[in-house]
Amino acid sequence: MSSVIQSSGEVRSASASRPRAMVNLKPAIFAMLGIVVIMAGYRIYQQIFAWSAGLDSTDPAFETYWMGLLKGELVLLVLSWAGLWSWLWITRDRNLQALKPREEMRRYFNLVLYIMVYAFCVYFTGSFFAEMDASWHQTVVRDTAFTPSHVILFYGTIPLYILFGVGGFLYAMTRLPRFAERISIPHALAVAGPFLILPNLGYNEWGHAFWMMEEFFSAPLHWGFVVLGWSVLALGGLLLQIARHVFETMGRLEQEASA
Amino acid sequence: MSAQLQENRDSVVLYGRRWSRENAGLSRTFDILVVIIMFIAITAAFHLHFQLTVGDWDFWVDWKDRQYWVTATPILLMAFPAALQYVFWEKFRLPIAATVCMLGLTLGIWITRYSGFHTWSYFPFSMVWPATMIAGGLILDAVLLLSGSALITAIIGGMSFGLLFYPANWPLLAPFRLPMEAMNSLVSVGDYIGYAYTRTSTPEYLRFIERGTLRTFGGHSAVVSAFFSGFVCILVYLLWWYIGMAFARVATLPNRMKSFMGLHDRGAEGKDA
Repeated sequence: MSSVIQSSGEVRSASASRPRAMVNLKPAIFAMLGIVVIMAGYRIYQQIFAWSAGLDSTDPAFETYWMGLLKGELVLLVLSWAGLWSWLWITRDRNLQALKPREEMRRYFNLVLYIMVYAFCVYFTGSFFAEMDASWHQTVVRDTAFTPSHVILFYGTIPLYILFGVGGFLYAMTRLPRFAERISIPHALAVAGPFLILPNLGYNEWGHAFWMMEEFFSAPLHWGFVVLGWSVLALGGLLLQIARHVFETMGRLEQEASA
Repeated sequence: MSAQLQENRDSVVLYGRRWSRENAGLSRTFDILVVIIMFIAITAAFHLHFQLTVGDWDFWVDWKDRQYWVTATPILLMAFPAALQYVFWEKFRLPIAATVCMLGLTLGIWITRYSGFHTWSYFPFSMVWPATMIAGGLILDAVLLLSGSALITAIIGGMSFGLLFYPANWPLLAPFRLPMEAMNSLVSVGDYIGYAYTRTSTPEYLRFIERGTLRTFGGHSAVVSAFFSGFVCILVYLLWWYIGMAFARVATLPNRMKSFMGLHDRGAEGKDA
């Protein structure tokens, strides 16, 4: 069912006059299922090719299975970032002043669902594949920065949460009046902190090129990741801010219903 | 009377306030989504913090020593529970933050310990089992619920958090502290497992190896370590309570890109967050 953005900013279905449901869980559920499939695929790939083709970076099999995967991820990274972010920007609402409470509420829930998908992706980086990295590097001596663990943790899972983190931030800025008027500091922190883990890899790999740090996972070289990970706590402030706006929008909805 | 009945049919009481049915449903949906987001995010960020600060002591049974493991683990574990207790208690009057943190962390650790260390790196699970931290989370929440005070929670809860870590893990650890003789040395079973399974990237000199003394098996020094840990936990709790306060603050800055976005200035409207 196609949809159009009217001049008032209210989204209605093209084939029906009644407004859309305010909470549409389907896109978020499909996105999370897709992420589970991708992550399961990554884990199975590791199980099959890490020991058989991932121990020696000069082995032609390493070039095929691991550098090939890395190059594919880098292409997808650029395409997905450019695709989603430019779509959010190009389709931005330029008439936010005329936004109706019902449509505004729908967009708040969309933002919350964006954040949910973002948090789900962060789980696979911060918890699942991060400790997988410990289990690999405390067992296998590395001879490259692009190890079977790093190819998936750093260049597979981190770009994915950046996609949804920045996407959610752009969604809020371009479709919600309160977020368009003023930049939310907790939102910026909750997105920028985990985002900076990607450039922090430069420092991490620079350190690993000099010292055999993997012998000790709690090494100070890794603490940059820890500090940047703390910024996830700002989701608390962000959700409080959204709750405040949702509550205020509910009041306007009730006024609209009683008028 | 019929108007009253109609109003009751169209509205519900939630959180001590009357809501329209539609808004009550939205509010419930919002609550559920927030709970899911917070649990996933806490699991991810807390696990990252934990593994990169004290992970090594948790990964291996022979690293679970009488001194560093007992001291460092509760101190570093205190961060997220304290920060989130501020948010959960001060904003929602929910005394569950520390327990939620520990449950999320435990779930995250067990999934990866099995998937990574056991099924990918092929270490026996008896070598890589994770410690339990849930008892400390429960006591922190209980003290906050009973006292309603961050200071009392820091002093009593923080000290208890440090003291409880070692005894809570003792049932898991005890079999690995049994004495045995290997290569003419008296060692613990845990240490012997460390000798037997080689970690290619982890040299032996990093490990805390003691042979042939009573300290090899914990002894009084483990109790002293727990007390020291509890003392530092008091201070760390207060520090992270205030860090939680800072992160939960709703602050905004004017969007200077508005004209670039094609939006018109709305003047003073929307200045409050």
